[in-house]
Amino acid sequence: MKKALLIVILTIVAFGILNAETKLKMELWNRWTYQTIDGEVTKNEMALKRGYLRLEPKFGNNIKGRFNVDFFSDEDGLDGAGLKIKYAYLDFSNMLPIKDSKITVGLMKTYFGTIYDWTYQTIDKDPSDKYKFVSSTDYGFGVTGYFPNGFGTYALAAYNGEGYKKTAGDINKDLNFVANLRVTPIAGITVGGSYMMKTKNDSEIDDSLGTMIGNPDREEYSMIAGVGKFAFGPFSLLTQYLMKDKNKPNVDDYEKVNTTALSFLPVFKVNNSFDILARYDIYDPDTDTDDDGYNTIVAGFNYHIMRDEKNAPKLFIQTNYQLKQYEADDSDDVSELMVQLRWIFSETINKGK
Amino acid sequence: MKKFVILLTLFALIAVPVLAKKGNKITIAGSTTVLPIAQATAEVFMDNNPEINISVRGGGSSVGIAAIMAGTVDIGNASRHIKAKELANAREQGINPYENVVANDGIVIVIHKDNNVNDLTLEQIKDIYTGEISNWKEVGGPTMPIVVISRDVSSGTFEVFNKIVLNNAKCIDGALMLASNNAVVSTIATTPGAIGYAGLGYLNETVNAVKIDRVMPSKKTIQNGSYPIARTLHMYTNGAPKGLAKRYIDFILSAEGQKIVEEQGFISVK
Repeated sequence: MKKALLIVILTIVAFGILNAETKLKMELWNRWTYQTIDGEVTKNEMALKRGYLRLEPKFGNNIKGRFNVDFFSDEDGLDGAGLKIKYAYLDFSNMLPIKDSKITVGLMKTYFGTIYDWTYQTIDKDPSDKYKFVSSTDYGFGVTGYFPNGFGTYALAAYNGEGYKKTAGDINKDLNFVANLRVTPIAGITVGGSYMMKTKNDSEIDDSLGTMIGNPDREEYSMIAGVGKFAFGPFSLLTQYLMKDKNKPNVDDYEKVNTTALSFLPVFKVNNSFDILARYDIYDPDTDTDDDGYNTIVAGFNYHIMRDEKNAPKLFIQTNYQLKQYEADDSDDVSELMVQLRWIFSETINKGK
Repeated sequence: MKKFVILLTLFALIAVPVLAKKGNKITIAGSTTVLPIAQATAEVFMDNNPEINISVRGGGSSVGIAAIMAGTVDIGNASRHIKAKELANAREQGINPYENVVANDGIVIVIHKDNNVNDLTLEQIKDIYTGEISNWKEVGGPTMPIVVISRDVSSGTFEVFNKIVLNNAKCIDGALMLASNNAVVSTIATTPGAIGYAGLGYLNETVNAVKIDRVMPSKKTIQNGSYPIARTLHMYTNGAPKGLAKRYIDFILSAEGQKIVEEQGFISVK
């Protein structure tokens, strides 16, 4: 199913590139990382941490596609270059009798917390990505849209539940469901929330029971994100609270695991070229277990060397100092200095086709 | 947590001097349709107020709205309304786009001076732009292939034309997509089979305007709503205009300012 959907979307996208107005975009992240633990240098590396090539064909005004392939020179200790398909979806606008809504089908964004519109103001990932609450993209379909007068956005979607990284070996058969709402009652004050419901092995038949009912491998997850954004003049503050409950309802003595994360991200835009920022994250993988979490403090700046005609970043340097402090006394703090050069270029071909 | 509080304090120390700005300057960017209005009114406004400097540049409606969202200009010009996505993004960033309507405009269908076609229906224009009609003889004109000229997709004029005339249908492959109203008019003036569209203010004696559904584009027909391809032209500010931007926009909306709007070929909002 997953492969078939991908093949269909890729075929449409390839056809679109040849026959429709298509935006080509490429972005590269060259990063130097200097890491120390307890005074010892544990990492001193330069890498292409991420790059992507994006194609966005436009099939008329109501259908748009996005195909995105990510590549990198190292990830999670793996050597060599890697390649992953991150997006392969189609947007259908004006199909529903709801103004400013669209239907999306394919390998698409996960509308949870801030993962779907995270712009990497810090080098580090969005909290729900970093702490593995959800995957940033997944195969599925959904409806998204805008409320009138800029009042906010909404999204309802169903996903495969595996994210974009998993291969055919361990595919969950149950769908995930996400509801996301974000409202901006006053310009500069935004509140929002997301709820994701996920099950695993729900439709698996247990060999010993001969039925799927009462399967002890059944897992239930419920995830909640609360988002608050405040923006006034050059100052903005993003706060996010994440909570995940994992349960095995058919195992009597299973103790529910509750994971939480709290994140603050203040940014001050000194001018159009220079932002300074900080970030403070508190992560607790199991709230019933002591000293298993860690806090992360980030301080840094972004220096924009070039922007495009719409003021979007084109070439900029990010510098972050990051300190990871473990709750456990026997774990040493990890400090990292990261300097990253991000460069982006794009072109639209077949204009007006 | 203590370290984080120290960081926030450092933030505040840097913020105070940055928040204290700025001089007697108004910056404007955006729509090429609104550009002549902005330029002509800015000249007179600066003559009347020599202590104030106004910088005006084009770029297109999308650029004008993006510039207001980024806070890099005081006024963002647009020949279309702001889109739902732009508005939602702007408000999240603490920007409250406020639409100041400064002029009315009609989009005029323009053909070569030697072409004897003088009346088309909206349906015929749509058929020409989607390729259903490809020769002038099909609409009562000479036997001559039609050369379709359009504006580039980032243009507000394109978006209005696309919505009212094409009803979001796909423009024919091979249409010439030009970057400005001036380029459309001057290309049509030298291309006998051409058809294009431009703001009323760009109409000149080198080309012919076509009636739509028997209505000639004019100040009167645009104001009374009988001409079908009409629109308002906007200057967006962050919130209701204040300070220098308010003085300048008030000037455009004054009798003197609206007279300049009309001199530029557009239609007064008064």
